[in-house]
Amino acid sequence: MDLPYHRYFEEMPCYVTVQDRGFRVVDANRRFREDFGKPEGRFCYQVYKRRPERCEICPVDQTFQDGQCHRNEEQVRTLDGREVSVMVYTSPIHDDTGAITSVLEISADITEVKRLQRQLTESQARYRLLFEEVPCYISIQDPELRIVDANRSFKENFGDFLGCKCYEIYKHRDGECVNCAVRQTFKDGRIHHNEEVVTSIKGEQLNTLIFTAPIRRADGQIQYVMEMSTNITPIRELQSQLESIGLLISSVSHNIKGLLTGLDGGMYLVNTGLQKNNQQRITQGWEMVQRNIERIRGTVMNILYYAKKREPSWEAVAAPALVEEVCGLIEPKARGYGVALRRDIDGGAGEFEADAKAMRALLINLVENSVDACRVDTKKPSHAVTVGLKGLPDQMVFEIADDGIGMDRRTREKAFTLFFSSKGSEGTGLGLFIANGIAQAHHGRIGIESELEKGTRFVVTIPRSRKGTDEGGKSEP
Amino acid sequence: MAAEKKTILVVDDEPDVRTFLSTLFEDSGYATVRAQDGNEALSRVKEKAPDLVTLDITMPNKSGVKFYREMKESAEWRKVPIIIVTGVSGEFKTFISTRKQVPPPEGYLPKPIDRNEILKLVKKLA
Repeated sequence: MDLPYHRYFEEMPCYVTVQDRGFRVVDANRRFREDFGKPEGRFCYQVYKRRPERCEICPVDQTFQDGQCHRNEEQVRTLDGREVSVMVYTSPIHDDTGAITSVLEISADITEVKRLQRQLTESQARYRLLFEEVPCYISIQDPELRIVDANRSFKENFGDFLGCKCYEIYKHRDGECVNCAVRQTFKDGRIHHNEEVVTSIKGEQLNTLIFTAPIRRADGQIQYVMEMSTNITPIRELQSQLESIGLLISSVSHNIKGLLTGLDGGMYLVNTGLQKNNQQRITQGWEMVQRNIERIRGTVMNILYYAKKREPSWEAVAAPALVEEVCGLIEPKARGYGVALRRDIDGGAGEFEADAKAMRALLINLVENSVDACRVDTKKPSHAVTVGLKGLPDQMVFEIADDGIGMDRRTREKAFTLFFSSKGSEGTGLGLFIANGIAQAHHGRIGIESELEKGTRFVVTIPRSRKGTDEGGKSEP
Repeated sequence: MAAEKKTILVVDDEPDVRTFLSTLFEDSGYATVRAQDGNEALSRVKEKAPDLVTLDITMPNKSGVKFYREMKESAEWRKVPIIIVTGVSGEFKTFISTRKQVPPPEGYLPKPIDRNEILKLVKKLA
C-alpha cells in the first residue's frame, strides 16, 4: 500500500478492518487495534463481539454474496469492556480480475447519537405521559375541526373517536358551533377561551371552561389547534346553590314580612280589645297571633329541610295516627277559612317505614296547600279538603283532594319547582318542593291531578318498607 | 248629623292583614270594605267608589297589578288615592313609578306595616 494512503487508513476516526471470506480480520487501523487489540488471525465476531460463531446478519457476508455495499447497526465491546454502538458500512475489494478478494468494513462510533436518540424518545414518552394524564380534556384539531389526537381523559369521557368532528363528539351537533374558539384560533393564531356545556358518552351535561392554542409548523403556519377543557361543573353547581340560597333568603324574608304583619295585627286586636274590654276582639286577635306563629313554625321547618339535606331517620310509623295528627293540626286553620276537613282513613292501614317528622312535614305542606287553594276560591259557596289513607300490601297511599281553584297546566308542571309559588305574597315556593324531596327520599312519589276551577288531588305513594327499594334507603331528600 | 264616614277599601289576599287594617281604620273613624283579590276589589269599587284604597300588589294571578291599572286608567276612579302595601322590596316602588302608561301610586308602604305611618298617610290622602 502507498505510504500516504496507508497513513490515511491508519488515522481514520473510526474502526477500519479488511476481512477475508472466512471473516478473518486481515488488516485493521490504529483505532481498531487500540480498542480491540491485535486482530491478526482472529475472526471478526470474536474480536468485536466475543462470539464463538458468526453473527446471523452479517454485512460483510452480504457484500461477499452480492458485491454491494451494506450497512448495519451493531453493538460491540472493547477490550476494556465498554459497550460501543457502531454503524457498520461494508464495501467489496476486487482483484485485477474483478473477483471479490476481501471486504472493507468501516464502523463509526455512534454511541453519543444513540444516547441522544434514547433521550429524545424518553422525553417524547414523558411529554406524551403528561398529555395523557393531565386532568383535563385535551384534543388536537385540524382546520376541519377533526380530532386528530386526544388525551386519555378526553377519550374516557367522550369516546375514542379520532377523525370525527369536535362538535359531533362534544355536543352531538351536526354543524359547527357559533363562536367556535378553535376556529377563532385558526383565524388569528391567538389563545381564546369560552365556557361551554358539553355532553359526555354517559349522557352527563358538563360545564367546561375551554382554552385554545395554535400548534404551528416550522414555517409558522398553524397546522393544528389544541383545545384544553376543564370540567367546572362542581363550581357551577356551587354557584347555582348560592343563587338558590339568595332566592331562598329573598323569598323567606318576603314571607316573614307578611307573617309579621299578621302577628302585628293580632297584637293590635288583643291590645285594643283589652283597652275596650272587648272579649270577642281579644279572642280574634289571639287566634291571629297563634295562626301566624304556627305559620312561622312551618316556614322555619321548611327552611331547615331545605338547608340540610338529611338521611331519613327510619322508624316504624303508624300511618292512620300520622294522618289523624296532621288533620288535627290543620283543622283549626281550615275551619277559620270556612273549609271543611274530611277524613277518609283506612284504620287498618298499619305501619310503614319512614321518617315520621319528615312525613308529617310532607303531609302538612300538602294539606295546607289544599286549604289555601280553597280559601282563595271565590267562585264556590263552600269548600272541603279530603285527606285519605289506603294501606296496600307494598305501599301506603295518601290522598289529599280539594275543590279549590285548581291548577292550570303551567302551575301543575311547575308545582314542585323550587321557589315557584302561585300564592302571591303568602308562598315561599318551598312547601311542595320540600314535600316532593321528602317523598323521593322515601323512594316514593307525589302525583298531581288538577283542573282549573275544579280542584286538585295529590296522591302520595310511599313503599311500606325501604328494603324493596333500589338503593336501600340511601337516597337524600 | 255627623258627617258621613270616609270609606277605605282594604285589598289583601291575607285575611289577617285585612282584619288588622280594617280594625285599625275603623278604630280611627273610617268605614271599611274588604276584598281578597283584585277582581273582588273591582266589584266593590263598582258598587260604591271608596275614598281610598290600600292594595297588596302581590296577590295570586297578578290581580293586584291588574286592579291598579284598571283604577288608574279609568276616568271615573283615577282620582281615588291608592296606597300600595306590600312585602316586596322597595325596588317595586321605583318600577311602578316609572311605568309610563299609569301614574305612580299616591302612597307606598312596606310590610310589616307601621301603624302610625299608615294612619298619617290615610289622613293626608283620604
